[in-house]
Amino acid sequence: MEEEKKASPTPRPLFQEAGTGALPDHPALFGGRCENCGFMFFPMQKYGCESCGSVKLTECVLTGRGKILTLAKVHEHKGPGREAPFTVAAVQLDDGPMVRALLDAATADETKYGDTVVTKLIPETRPNRGPYDLRFTRQAS
Amino acid sequence: MAKLIGDLRPVYVVGVGWHKYQYPTDTPYVAMGLKAVRDALADGGLEWSAVESSYIAHMRLGGAIGRAMLRHLGALGKPLVHVENASASGSTAFRHACIEVASGISDVALALGIDKVPEGGGARPARGGGLRGLADDAIVPFTSFALLTNRYAAQFGLRPEDIALVAVKNSANGALNPNAQRQQARTLEEVLGGRPISGTLTPLQCTPVGEGAAAAIVASEEGIKRLGLDMGRAVRVLSSTAGTETAEDPLNRDTVLSREVMQRSMREAGVTSKDLDVLEVHDAFTIEELLYAEATGICPEGQFIPMLKEGAFDIGGQCAISPSGGLLSCGHPIGPTGVGQIGEIVTQIRGEAGARQHKGARTGLAHMVGVGAVCYVHVLQK
Repeated sequence: MEEEKKASPTPRPLFQEAGTGALPDHPALFGGRCENCGFMFFPMQKYGCESCGSVKLTECVLTGRGKILTLAKVHEHKGPGREAPFTVAAVQLDDGPMVRALLDAATADETKYGDTVVTKLIPETRPNRGPYDLRFTRQAS
Repeated sequence: MAKLIGDLRPVYVVGVGWHKYQYPTDTPYVAMGLKAVRDALADGGLEWSAVESSYIAHMRLGGAIGRAMLRHLGALGKPLVHVENASASGSTAFRHACIEVASGISDVALALGIDKVPEGGGARPARGGGLRGLADDAIVPFTSFALLTNRYAAQFGLRPEDIALVAVKNSANGALNPNAQRQQARTLEEVLGGRPISGTLTPLQCTPVGEGAAAAIVASEEGIKRLGLDMGRAVRVLSSTAGTETAEDPLNRDTVLSREVMQRSMREAGVTSKDLDVLEVHDAFTIEELLYAEATGICPEGQFIPMLKEGAFDIGGQCAISPSGGLLSCGHPIGPTGVGQIGEIVTQIRGEAGARQHKGARTGLAHMVGVGAVCYVHVLQK
């Protein structure tokens, strides 16, 4: 008898098109907060707090803005779905967690340490990932 | 109350051996493992029958590989354990061999690290446990360390290119090590002249991952006396220390964790960073050597590169760092790497390292991390 093919679960979304009250025009990220110790994290998960182990975890919509901690231009990349060159960065979000993400190709070369960056959506080119992908871009001063 | 390894019976390394680390070949892993074990037995002056327990470290070869090697040394009939702990697999196997001897369960135990690159690369460490990030498919290990390279350079006013000097030093050491995968001394121009990979990292600033084997045999004082081994060549394991990551500094958990475990290991050993003559660290990328060396306290944060330029970390300097050539030149075959570090420190402390001997080496520290999530540190002394 042919085994029934199991549908893979839909992955939890990492971001939404809408922003937060603090920054309505830039997509917000789905992070979490530990109700026991206050630890803020990204992405949202319900396995347990990385800081204290509590399972009292609540989803938090994180504002899509932060500061560049470091960045690097990737010249060679073998994984599928991403074509080098591209620039990645570690961003300390205003709301607490550090995230690692791609920078917007249009502003990546002029982005520096300490710059404020905000989220923006671009069309997704990888299969089965929805209509949009997320980038951080230098906030216009 | 919990005990430290130093509270138990003293443990000594009595024999070390290698199969050269190398780019992938058709050599069976059985042949590589046997070469390392037979060399370690010969080095220690032991017969295989004296080994009471074996710990086999590997990550990519599949299940229960030890029997296929060890049966060719004669009847086995004794405990055999397989250890997988990512890059720290070898260090973990060594720690558990030490614990077995220190506890009094065995007088003589073997730690053997072995790996090959299977077709398709074989098993890789699990990173996110199913949780996705924003750019997981864009940030492979070398890019994680390119980010740390650039952060360190910006923080301390260095050119990222200065950090490439670590590869120049380690290539000079590796050129003197017959077991190293890369045995060619390189200039800064050669290191920087390679194709750009990520940030300022070039191929010679990244460890080559190939195949090989390394073995270390540990024994108690009773075992050494009973077997008539040479106590003059035995090197004491002063401390064996392990830890796992915390939620602190998610960008660089490896260094936070390494600092805590290194400091604890030195305290347990009763030494300070000033006592370290030889240091072998997990320098899979150039930036790692300086982050981990600074974590020992051997130099103030941000001072590694100026001191490197003055020769402080050369063989013959204040402390020889990566005298074997480190992962950058020896290579990082995974299972063998941590065991091979112990072998290098033992060889240095015995004064048997030939052209790469650090004069007067008495105390050494070996350090490995595994996916940034586990850290193992051993302090050895004559």
